[in-house]
Amino acid sequence: MSVQANKPLFIWRHLNKLRWLVMSLVFFMLILLPMLHVYQTYVSAHAYDLLSPSEQNFYDFMETITAPFVSDPENELDAIKGTTWSGTFFGLKLSDPLAAAGQVAASLKFYWPFVLTALIPVAFTLVFGRFFCGWLCPATFLYELNTTLGVWLRKAGLRTGNRRLDPRLKYIVLVLGLLLSAVSGSIVLAAVYPPAVVGREIYYAIALGGFGVGAVFFVVTLLFDLLVARRGFCRYLCPGGALYSLLGRFRPIRIKRIVENCNDCAKCNAVCEFGLDPLRDNFGMECNNCSACIAVCPTDAMTFVVRMQDFPYQGPGHLGRHYRRQQGKKQTIDDSDEKA
Amino acid sequence: MQRRTFIKAMGAGAATALAPTAVKSARFRPSLRYLRPPGALAEEEFLSRCIRCGQCGEACPNRCIKYFSTENGVASLDTPYIIPREKACILCMKCGEVCPTDAIAAIPREAGAIISGVKMGMARVDKKICLSYQGKTCGVCYRACPLPDVAIRVGMLEQPHVSQACVGCGLCERSCIQIPQAIRIIPNRKGA
Repeated sequence: MSVQANKPLFIWRHLNKLRWLVMSLVFFMLILLPMLHVYQTYVSAHAYDLLSPSEQNFYDFMETITAPFVSDPENELDAIKGTTWSGTFFGLKLSDPLAAAGQVAASLKFYWPFVLTALIPVAFTLVFGRFFCGWLCPATFLYELNTTLGVWLRKAGLRTGNRRLDPRLKYIVLVLGLLLSAVSGSIVLAAVYPPAVVGREIYYAIALGGFGVGAVFFVVTLLFDLLVARRGFCRYLCPGGALYSLLGRFRPIRIKRIVENCNDCAKCNAVCEFGLDPLRDNFGMECNNCSACIAVCPTDAMTFVVRMQDFPYQGPGHLGRHYRRQQGKKQTIDDSDEKA
Repeated sequence: MQRRTFIKAMGAGAATALAPTAVKSARFRPSLRYLRPPGALAEEEFLSRCIRCGQCGEACPNRCIKYFSTENGVASLDTPYIIPREKACILCMKCGEVCPTDAIAAIPREAGAIISGVKMGMARVDKKICLSYQGKTCGVCYRACPLPDVAIRVGMLEQPHVSQACVGCGLCERSCIQIPQAIRIIPNRKGA
């Protein structure tokens, strides 16, 4: 069976659900891993009797959920460690490209064993663009829920911010962050990069008994998104997003509007978290291939394509009013030509 | 318009609140006696190498590694530290193993490698407080030491004598039964 060129593959409509599943899973892991760590420390201390009743409850709970899988929890629960900032995934050390860039800037030399841990993420970003922002980032998970909260607040009659800033601001943040890291000799980007902050703060809250200053920063970004600009931090300020946008400039995997199916309903523009303009074929560097516009499109007019550049504006959708009016005009002109 | 002025005021307030902490750097706060994890590079180099990923703390089975907030200056925000009197390092060397940038060097868990590669600090005995020096045989620090007869030797009445081989893990300070502690680690942040 051949796939029709003007029909998206049916599975792409459902990728958005898969995306939410992946994001929730990453977030869930960021909560689970510190819990596993605390459990491991209890096990290695061999002091169940010395734990407080609540700690014993915690121990029992963790034992119940891990016992089917491991016999030696002290050493066998180390398959996945760390956060999305830097961690170990089944023996493979992976790091955020921003961590590598910031570390190089801070120490002013390439420490290859570390820089190379960012190689696989960079390779994926070159192909899929800002996919990290839409698919893995634990902060995105909370920011998208925050957007939903904003929608509810608007329905309740409250005003939320919908300001538009210049998306190029984030490149300034990135360059400034790298410069500051180089000058101060310490990676300041780690303190203003939400996924790193979220991973770290969840660990602090669970394993060390309380949130740190990063939590304050994160709440401020949530308020910024709610009161100033929707998804404002990711769109306009995030240094990581800036780096990924640059890396994903020539990504071969893109979203394309099928102009024959489009009816100009503009739902894609409304749903786009990054404030892009899919209706006018304007994705650019910012698109994170999150596929929300594909999922929302009522006429199957959005699809993935393999192409290094965006399409130029294809004109109004063929199922829309504007296109029909244009065609109608042409028709009448043609008719008058024939008569004459 | 009002909101804008409010946000501006908040920004200015935050800037003035953060300015003094930015000036007060780790090197100028001798009152804060903390250790870096075992095998950590010299302080400046450590700060530039560490990416604040928090994996050392997640690997620590003793949970002695904690993380700075702004109390030691913004430069060491989210960097790992150990306060030996609260919880001391057991020299398991797992933090160095997981550190992705080798800001904490990977050192094998063997006495020779640890003695030559780890220098978190050095224990110092306050003879005015130490029970053994007051004529009451104690020896708790000696028994807590992971390198007995190498780092701490005992003399008459189990009076502790610290040698140059001390790596500064802090288990002696942790275990000292005197309040305040009679033996304490003088941090060495110049690396091994």
